[in-house]
Amino acid sequence: MKANPNDVFTGIYYIDGDVAAAYGALAAGCKFLGGYPITPSTEAAEAFARKAPYVGAQFIQMEDELGSIASVLGASWAGKKSMTITSGPGYSLMMENIGLGAAMEIPFIIINIQRGGPSTGVPTSTGQADIMQSRWGSNGDYEVIALAPDSPQESFEFTIKAFNLAERYRVPVMLMADECVGHMTEKVVIPEASEIEVEPRRFYKGKKEDYIPYKRDKDLVSPLVRAGEGYKLYITGLTHDEKGYPILNNKSLPDITKATVKNKKSTNQFLVDKIRKNKDDIIELQEQDLEDAEVVIVSYGITSRVAYRAYEQAKKQGIKVGMLRLVTVWPFPDEKITELAKSVKGFVVPEINYGQIVFEVDRCSHGQANTILVPHGGASVHKPEDILGAIKQIATDDKKYDNVIEYTTSLEKLIFKGSLTEIINK
Amino acid sequence: MEKIIEIFKQGIESSKIDKQKICMVSDIPYPSDITDYLGIDFFHTSRGRAIPFATGMKLSNPNLKPVVFIGDFATLGGNHFVHAGRRNMDINVICINKFNYQKIAGEDAPVKFPRIPFLPYASFDEPLNIPHLARSCAGVYVARWTLLHTDKLSESIAESFSKVGFTVIDVISHIPEVLDFYYKHSEEKAGEDTLEVKITPDKKIIVGKFIDRERPTFIDAYNEQLSSVLGDKFIKLE
Repeated sequence: MKANPNDVFTGIYYIDGDVAAAYGALAAGCKFLGGYPITPSTEAAEAFARKAPYVGAQFIQMEDELGSIASVLGASWAGKKSMTITSGPGYSLMMENIGLGAAMEIPFIIINIQRGGPSTGVPTSTGQADIMQSRWGSNGDYEVIALAPDSPQESFEFTIKAFNLAERYRVPVMLMADECVGHMTEKVVIPEASEIEVEPRRFYKGKKEDYIPYKRDKDLVSPLVRAGEGYKLYITGLTHDEKGYPILNNKSLPDITKATVKNKKSTNQFLVDKIRKNKDDIIELQEQDLEDAEVVIVSYGITSRVAYRAYEQAKKQGIKVGMLRLVTVWPFPDEKITELAKSVKGFVVPEINYGQIVFEVDRCSHGQANTILVPHGGASVHKPEDILGAIKQIATDDKKYDNVIEYTTSLEKLIFKGSLTEIINK
Repeated sequence: MEKIIEIFKQGIESSKIDKQKICMVSDIPYPSDITDYLGIDFFHTSRGRAIPFATGMKLSNPNLKPVVFIGDFATLGGNHFVHAGRRNMDINVICINKFNYQKIAGEDAPVKFPRIPFLPYASFDEPLNIPHLARSCAGVYVARWTLLHTDKLSESIAESFSKVGFTVIDVISHIPEVLDFYYKHSEEKAGEDTLEVKITPDKKIIVGKFIDRERPTFIDAYNEQLSSVLGDKFIKLE
């Protein structure tokens, strides 16, 4: 389905990534934003609030992030495409209800403009350390989808993509942007509505009496209805069966049988299966010179832009280097990494944290290739020279390592080897 | 829970509200299969977050009538209660007040009754005065009944459906033996100042309708404010 022309603010803009994300959400048909201001994501909510009344969308500043996310879940069940926008500490507060959203299978998106952490961290500067949290933050087993844009233009496009995936799979989708993308001002082209593909909500079309909330189609996704239309829904965050009713202990059964019966009837398994089985359709990667590469840079978000510079420099120096950019960070492209590990010497993983996705890469390479982490404590981006240094280290070192190697960045060299005056002078 | 559902059903039926539009939202207390029985939708959310969930529903579809059933809410999600009242969201809150977290094991709760301690050495801190809290948060309808005031409670529920705005009914509820004690020690005083209705061991439990007033709801205020700024250039929320 094409986007509604009323929702699309077609034109060429010079805006930052936050604002672009808000325009993306509107273009995707988002009609509800429950949020709470937090740097560096505030501009997105501001832009949404300014435009919302014209397109019949609602913005409400809730009392806190716990309330924001709960209101988003409610709004989505009542029939509107919904989202919230936040950053690190707010994102932490939302975790419990992300689990509820996953359990109730509610389509919604969270835009997380990541900042330095942990805790209050560096509110006005960048970070990429919420990546694992986005996958494992809430209790219990569930799968999410996470996307990482690296420019304001992508911020716009990926927000639409995030909504499409959320509606397609009835799953929480995270847009894991960061402060650099959020506050970077660049040219953003918003196309005509006829050029924007939007996934409509999959509403149930059959007879009212026959509706079963979690009856799945071949993709393991079930159609939705709106609350308040006489379907007599019973929707719960408790482990439930196909009809939505909680599966409680049946005291008459012995323990083992009970567990088996529970597992069979419960829809929990589908929470992971619906993403894992449709992985190939969900995962999106950008590849560069992977065919004959000896060293592969695996990166995502703003870091992939910095890494591209290192990639160009390494090419000039004659190193056989390739780039793999994770557009969707979750689900993780296990097979692709395993496949690459067979032919390459090693992976270089730069990220603005002390190692998150690098361990996923290492896990998937099954000891076939070396993995080097180019860490960064946050508050700024990598120096391309550091990534280049790591590429060279992998390219020249023939030793096989058992664990992830950590590259000593230029900053660390200064701190540990240089004197304080030297650092200040630099 | 069964008893309150029964009374709730009577309340729905005696009011003129379209049943389909009612969405029951709860957090900790959850009834078993009541949706067929009541003919409404039911959402069992996470601890303490029923009110914001209902807020989202209401804003997403203003025709819905969310009814929030909460337990002794004043700890988890107390802030949501305050702000939903301040905004005057059109939500009906029914607080099933058992003075403790009975669903779990009788732990200490901020709305407890000092004489019925589930604590081994009795509780000692101040209980919360829910009707007064609701009044200070600017709720438009505030009442309290025990579960044994069956008819009055169901009338009250029906009446709260006819109100537009944030309504709160504090339902004193407990196991039958204790409930009987509460019922006998209650005294109806309609329109009583909510400051005086605090539950203490040496006074009777004051029940009745305390507040009934009109205020523009969040949605009314939103439409009014935007039309004063944007004229007819915006899409009204209705």
